Amino acid sequence: MLTYTRFSQWLRALAACSVLALGAPAYAADSAPAAAPAAAAATEPAAAPATTGGDFKSLDGEVQGLKKEVLDLNRDLFMLEEELLFPANTQVAVFLSLDVGTFFELDSVQIKLDNKEVANYLYTDREVEALNRGGVHRVFIGNLKTGKHELVAFFTGKGPHERDYKRGANMTFEKGVGAKYLELKISDRQSAQQPEFKVKEWE
Amino acid sequence: MSRGGITSGARACACLLALAFSAGVAAPKATPTPGALPPVKVRDLYYGDVLYYFYQDDYFTALTHLTAAQQLGRVSHHEGDAQLLLGGLYLSLGQHREAGQIFAEVLDRKNVPQPVRDRARFFLGKVWYQRGYFDKAADTLAAAGRAGLSPAMEAERRMLLAQALLYQGKYPEAIAALENWKGPVMWQAYAKFNLGVAFVRNGQLDQGAHLLDEIGRLERTNRELDALRDKANLALGYALLQAKKPVEARPVLERVRLDGPLSTKALLGVGWASSDAQQYRDALVPWLELHGRGMLDSAVQESYLAVPYAYGKLNANRQAAEYYETAIREFGAETGRLDESIAAIRRGGMLETIVKNESRSQLGWFWQLSTLPDAPESRYLYHLLAQNDFQEGLKNFRMLRYMERNLDGWSTSVEAFDDMLATRRERYDTRLPAVLAKLNGVDLEELQRRRTEIESQVVSAENTGDVAALGTPHERELWAQVEQMESVLANAGNDPDLDDARDKLRLARGVLYWEMNDGFKARAWAVRKGVREVSQALRETEKRWSLVQEAKQAVPDRNGEFGARIASLRPRIEGARDRLAALERAQADYLADIAVRELESQKERIATYMLQARYSLATIYDRATQDLDAKRGPAPQAPTPPQGTQ
Repeated sequence: MLTYTRFSQWLRALAACSVLALGAPAYAADSAPAAAPAAAAATEPAAAPATTGGDFKSLDGEVQGLKKEVLDLNRDLFMLEEELLFPANTQVAVFLSLDVGTFFELDSVQIKLDNKEVANYLYTDREVEALNRGGVHRVFIGNLKTGKHELVAFFTGKGPHERDYKRGANMTFEKGVGAKYLELKISDRQSAQQPEFKVKEWE
Repeated sequence: MSRGGITSGARACACLLALAFSAGVAAPKATPTPGALPPVKVRDLYYGDVLYYFYQDDYFTALTHLTAAQQLGRVSHHEGDAQLLLGGLYLSLGQHREAGQIFAEVLDRKNVPQPVRDRARFFLGKVWYQRGYFDKAADTLAAAGRAGLSPAMEAERRMLLAQALLYQGKYPEAIAALENWKGPVMWQAYAKFNLGVAFVRNGQLDQGAHLLDEIGRLERTNRELDALRDKANLALGYALLQAKKPVEARPVLERVRLDGPLSTKALLGVGWASSDAQQYRDALVPWLELHGRGMLDSAVQESYLAVPYAYGKLNANRQAAEYYETAIREFGAETGRLDESIAAIRRGGMLETIVKNESRSQLGWFWQLSTLPDAPESRYLYHLLAQNDFQEGLKNFRMLRYMERNLDGWSTSVEAFDDMLATRRERYDTRLPAVLAKLNGVDLEELQRRRTEIESQVVSAENTGDVAALGTPHERELWAQVEQMESVLANAGNDPDLDDARDKLRLARGVLYWEMNDGFKARAWAVRKGVREVSQALRETEKRWSLVQEAKQAVPDRNGEFGARIASLRPRIEGARDRLAALERAQADYLADIAVRELESQKERIATYMLQARYSLATIYDRATQDLDAKRGPAPQAPTPPQGTQ
């Protein structure tokens, strides 16, 4: 006959196990509080022996293999698309980068090539943040014949003292037989306490 | 490619990426921001392009762009960093195998700078850890130096190292890894907690209790620390209960927040602490509080048995019986709900409701489900999501689904590429004959010969002073007439009647010569300029001619190459889509099995509780009957306390 006391011990043992799991071979889920925050995700190992069955490992192995194939396939398709639509001999790509950005908060950029608008891009906060952290945005990719061409870019946003700000930058460049890369650089000119907009030519 | 280098003050390097990567995973808010680290110039535009997507947590696109850029040789200035980033991206997409290979390769290479080596070891250790190879994880993490690690990475390294050691039961080593360590505030708190747990597990309850108590008394500053505080108090409280120190356990458990996620377990523990101290009335307070809470929680379920148990201890058999009856009723209802949920999961669609409307930006291996769908089975999913297998399986399912959609898009694009190529071929076939006919009609050699001839004429005219050679057609006609008339007059002898005509002709010749001589230099310059222009045009024509000749061969070759690529990609897409769909189904079945297994085990537990409640209820009734019989009997006996209560 199960007595009250035995029952209470049984319940307590159950509760204690679920809370502390002391002495358990693995770092059990409920004692995962021990995990540091950055390691929190890792505290539950993807394939921890104590919690992971063979089914998961075998299925996970298959999934990993297929994912790798799809990632490779995606890369091949991406390259095919670019090479097919923008062959190297006619390719022109325009990139945008931010340096520091204290005096200018970017909203949008408009790009004209040979007086024809080719891109008008409105940035989200997330994208601006990525630019501020060192990302470079390929804002336009297209085709141009060899010879002289003119690029004009207009930047809009907030300038010093939160004022609306619109500036332009332009460049005449020679398109040769190889791909041409142009970089729109927004940086801070400390001396003038103003943003600076430049176009840089890459080969 | 000329590499001017981006002289950025804010551009990130791989160490920064590595940090950002780890920060993106689940870094504490107190972690230094990536910008606080020394920046490195981004020297390849396409490396910056990868970072652009990476910093938006769009790992799939970042990985695609990076692998393409590497293949096209566009990130040559960032080779080492790019490899580390690639490993990090694979890791963030759950590709442990590839990530591990990459980090191991970086370590195998010679002349790899020490900081890069340290970061590679850090990530490799993390990969081993995540795959459950704790021995290898501990070795690798222990070998990672601090040179290339930011303070937050170093803190994470140490924490993972300690956890890997704990998993292996190497408590003294884990204690050694954490003891006397000083790090960022948040990490320090977690380290102290881990150290406390390591001490407790190592049988050093006093040392462990001291540390856990310290964490448990931290001031409330933010949600993260509050959660840690609760966990420390709960862990310490139950450790003390196990050590049969209920009086000490109670105030510790009472420090857990009543509105926090650990409150139910804490309330249950407080009840047990009172009960152990034979204060059953006090025990009823937290246990009855649990009755108002959701039946999903195991602590709540247990409270349905604990409450009548306490009443029984207080000899309040009527209340005890009533609460057992309530427990039986509630357990029955819960069993019904569990059956409903199991049936719903078996019908399928559970995953569909979870992954519906998922945004692409959230795709990543460290994704967490934030909201649950409104479905019968949803109430149990929170519990399921705490399970590693279920979470990993769910991430796999999401990724497979995302990839399937991605390939659906490419499938349409490839059709368009095919059409585009067909149009190009048709245009080429149509235009080529016309272009060739036009080009064949041009005699380039004859044009070259004529250019040379003109050039020679100019040179000759300049050398001989033949001003008429560069005269206008009218002047040259007049000059010819003058010369012809001079010839006629010369043949006419010395006839005086012709003297007047000779004078006039001499005058005319003089005027004409003067006019032609006057413009000779300008004309010679203009002709030379014209010849130069003709030369340039002829060169351009020759160039174009050879380009057309090349294109005549190259365009079909290139179109053929594209055609072959498209042809080889199409079956790859179709094959991958089929396999994705099949694996998706397998993954869904696997997840449904986990869910059902979990719900079945909950049912079993509830069935055990139910049995226990019924049994206890029967015991009460039995005892009551015995008491009644005893009262009716000839010689009344003193009531016997429940067996084993002392």
